[in-house]
Amino acid sequence: MSEFVKVAKVSEIPDPGKRMLEVEDSVVVLFHVGGQFYCLDDVCTHDGGPLGEGRLCDHAIACPRHGAQFDIRTGKPLTMPAIVPTLAHDVKVEGDDVYVKIREE
Amino acid sequence: MTALATETGFSQASVDAFFESRNEPGWLLDQRRSAWQVFSEMAWPGRREEEWSRTDIRLFKLDKYTLSTGQKAAAQAPRSVLSQGIHLAGQSTALDSVPFSASLDGRWAEQGVLFGSLDALIAEHGDRLRPYLQRRITNPYHDKFTALHAACWSGGHVLYVPRGVVVELPIHVFSALTDGGADFSRTLVILEDGAEATVLAETASGGQQESGLHCGATEILIGRGANLRFVNLQDWGHGVWHFAHQRALVGADASLQWTIAALGSRLSKVNQQVSLVGEGASCQVNGVLFTEGKQQLTYQTLQHHEAAHCHSDFLYKAALQDRSRTVWRGMIKVNPGAQKTDGYQRNDNLLLSDHARADSIPGLEIEADDVRCTHGSTTGKVDEELIFYAMTRGFTRREAARMIVSGFFQQIFDRITIESVREALGQAIAARVREYQ
Repeated sequence: MSEFVKVAKVSEIPDPGKRMLEVEDSVVVLFHVGGQFYCLDDVCTHDGGPLGEGRLCDHAIACPRHGAQFDIRTGKPLTMPAIVPTLAHDVKVEGDDVYVKIREE
Repeated sequence: MTALATETGFSQASVDAFFESRNEPGWLLDQRRSAWQVFSEMAWPGRREEEWSRTDIRLFKLDKYTLSTGQKAAAQAPRSVLSQGIHLAGQSTALDSVPFSASLDGRWAEQGVLFGSLDALIAEHGDRLRPYLQRRITNPYHDKFTALHAACWSGGHVLYVPRGVVVELPIHVFSALTDGGADFSRTLVILEDGAEATVLAETASGGQQESGLHCGATEILIGRGANLRFVNLQDWGHGVWHFAHQRALVGADASLQWTIAALGSRLSKVNQQVSLVGEGASCQVNGVLFTEGKQQLTYQTLQHHEAAHCHSDFLYKAALQDRSRTVWRGMIKVNPGAQKTDGYQRNDNLLLSDHARADSIPGLEIEADDVRCTHGSTTGKVDEELIFYAMTRGFTRREAARMIVSGFFQQIFDRITIESVREALGQAIAARVREYQ
């Protein structure tokens, strides 16, 4: 069973901004937007592209390969060519520390 | 037995110490040092490269592993599956890239067959093996993994069959890993003109959850009119990183039947190439892939028609469970002079869960104008009507799924002529099939 893992300081990630992280056995992207933190698998469900290298616009992240966009709050696809959600992980902030818990199916 | 192992890492000093410990001829150490230099200067493959765009190795950390230069206790070795109940002509085994046993029936040793640990046979027959090791059947500088292998290989196996000699019984080579171990084995098979052999090559961990690293190479050279059957079972633990380059050169009127079963590893990246270099050469490659959990198996195959009147037939079938993934990228390449080529490639995928994913990318690159080259790919789920029909006949849902998966692979099992191998593969796959939803 996965637990919350401390991954960053709030002050380390600008708002808006993002950072790629290795947490347990996953590569994820941590987003900081509008004062909130969100975390997605660093995988575009279209062809496995690295979302962490994409362009962040409000609450949407665009895959750098083919432009598929995902909602960083839920992982849901917003545009073609992606049609399947990417995994969204749990995030919590305590003081200046950001914690992530990897979601398992 | 006790283990006496000297572990080294991958720093310049530790690799120098590894080279020093090898006690090998100068030409071979020069090869290793050149490869290490290339490794040191190369970057790890990135996902911006087409070949690696679907294979994520960011979580792979080489510094977690070490080179093993000492002896290992045979008691630590996992049990072989392929050699059970078979009368063998010879067997060579290694654990964590350290050879620990080798034998060859005297009947074939008398006829000039060389077989055993590559480490040991280089010491005894270095001059005989030198041309084959210098031929670069696999490219040592293809990427950082091949350079690492070329610098650090150990614990490999070699089979050399002289002209016209037929080895009727199978040869078994077995490379095993302990939990967290590293395997850099190199397998070299040489059949001179008119020779015949069957090789069962097996890799395994002690348990399904074990981790480790395999960075290996398989090199096959088949002379004019020779005939090789090569069976390869990969059954590493699900924490093993598996990087392999495999290439066969098939001479005129020679034939190769190459069967691959890949069940294990956390992530596999395999480059498999068959080059038909002599007129009238033929090859049949059969691949069985079964994945579960979060496994990812990537196969990049090339059937290269370099001469005219050659025949190649690649068939890869994959069944995927849970959130596992396969990537198959196959290419038929025909050189300008390779007229009358007959090339076929096919990849079928059976998805056993909604979250499994199979990428299939067949390709053709044809520079001759009188050829027949065809390819195909299918991906689908288990037909619910088939499950229902079986259940009306008294089978449970799981039994029904097992039957359907077995039936899916039957086309390849039918091509495996060694009954015990066919049974071992069938049982290994059936045991893995869970309740299909």
